[in-house]
Amino acid sequence: MNNIEETLWNYIDGNCTPDEQSVISTLIASDEAYRLKYQELLALNKEFAAIELEEPSMAFTYNVIEAIRTEQAQVPLKAAINKRIILGITLFFVITLTGFLIYTLGSMDWSGQGMPDLAAKVPANFKVPDVSSHISKPLVEGFMFFDVVLALFLFDTYLRRKNISKQAN
Amino acid sequence: MQSKLSDIELIDQVLAGNQAAYADLVKRHQRFVFTLAMRFAKGREDAEEIAQDCFIKAYRSLGSFQRQSKFSTWLYSIVYTTAMTFLRKKRVDTDSIDDENTFIQVENQSSAYDVNNVENKSRSFYLNQAIEQLLPDDATIITLFYKGEQSLEEIGQALGMEANTVKVKLFRARQRLKEKLERNLKHEAKELI
Repeated sequence: MNNIEETLWNYIDGNCTPDEQSVISTLIASDEAYRLKYQELLALNKEFAAIELEEPSMAFTYNVIEAIRTEQAQVPLKAAINKRIILGITLFFVITLTGFLIYTLGSMDWSGQGMPDLAAKVPANFKVPDVSSHISKPLVEGFMFFDVVLALFLFDTYLRRKNISKQAN
Repeated sequence: MQSKLSDIELIDQVLAGNQAAYADLVKRHQRFVFTLAMRFAKGREDAEEIAQDCFIKAYRSLGSFQRQSKFSTWLYSIVYTTAMTFLRKKRVDTDSIDDENTFIQVENQSSAYDVNNVENKSRSFYLNQAIEQLLPDDATIITLFYKGEQSLEEIGQALGMEANTVKVKLFRARQRLKEKLERNLKHEAKELI
C-alpha cells in the first residue's frame, strides 16, 4: 500500500517521468485500488494546500526595523572608528619617531672626543650584589610551575569566553 | 500597501541604504516566516522572537546573499538554523513543571477547548491542530512545500538536505499528518456521540 501511495504522491506532485505518468494514468483508470487511493490523496493534497498561515502581531515589522535601528546605533566605538584613521595615526608616530632618530643619530659626534670619562666617576668601593647565589634550582622550578598554571588559567578563561560568545550568537 | 518590486529589487534598494525597502521585504515574508517559527516554538511569543531574530540576521548578512537562489529560500534557511538553535537552547533550559508560564499555557489550552464549540470548528482547525502535533521537521517540510512555493530542491537547500531526502521526508510527513488528522477527527466524533 505504501508503494502505491508513494507512486501516487509522485504522480500528484508531478515528479514522474512522462513514461511513468502515462503508466500511472492507465493504472488509475483501470485499477479500482489505485483509483480510490488517488482520489483520497488528491482530496488530502487539496486540504494540505489550504493550510492557513499564522499572522504575527501588528507591530511585527515596526519591531524588526526598530531592533535593526537600535543595533546600528549601538555599534561599539571600536567598530565605528575607521581603520584608516588608526593607520594614519600610527604612520604619523612611526614617521615622526624615525625622523627624530635619524636626526639624532646624524647629528651625533661619533669620534668620542666630547665623551666624559664615566669610569672615573664610579667609586672604587662600589660592589655589585651577587644574586646568583639566590637563584637555585627549586626556585626556577617553582617559577616555571607558576607560569604553567597561569598559562592554563588564561587559556581556560579564553575558552570560556569563546564558548559564551558562541552561545550568544 | 506592499511594494510591487521584486525581492531582488528591494534588496538592491536596502543595500543602497534605503531601510524602508527592508520593511517592505519584512511585510512580504513575515507571515510565512512566523508560521515556520510557530512550527518549532509552539508559542506565539517565542515564535515572534525567532521570526524577528531571523529578519535581523537576514538584514545583517544581506550583502553576502549570493542571489543564486530565491531570497525566500535563503531566508527560510536562516529560519531553520535559528529555530534549531532555539530548540537546542530550549532543551538545555528545560522548564520546570511548576513554571508559571507552563501553567498558564495549559490553562489557556483547556479554556480554549471549552469555549470553542465543536460544531464551529472547521476542517482547517483540525488540520492546524494536527500540524501542531507533528515533529518540527515534518511540520516545516509540509509548510514549505504547500505554502512556501518551494520545490523539493529549494526545500533541500533551505534545510541543508538532498532533494531525494526531502522527498522521502515529505512522504512520511504527509502520512503522519494524515494519521493525526484522522485520529483527531475520530476523537471529536466520539465526544459528540
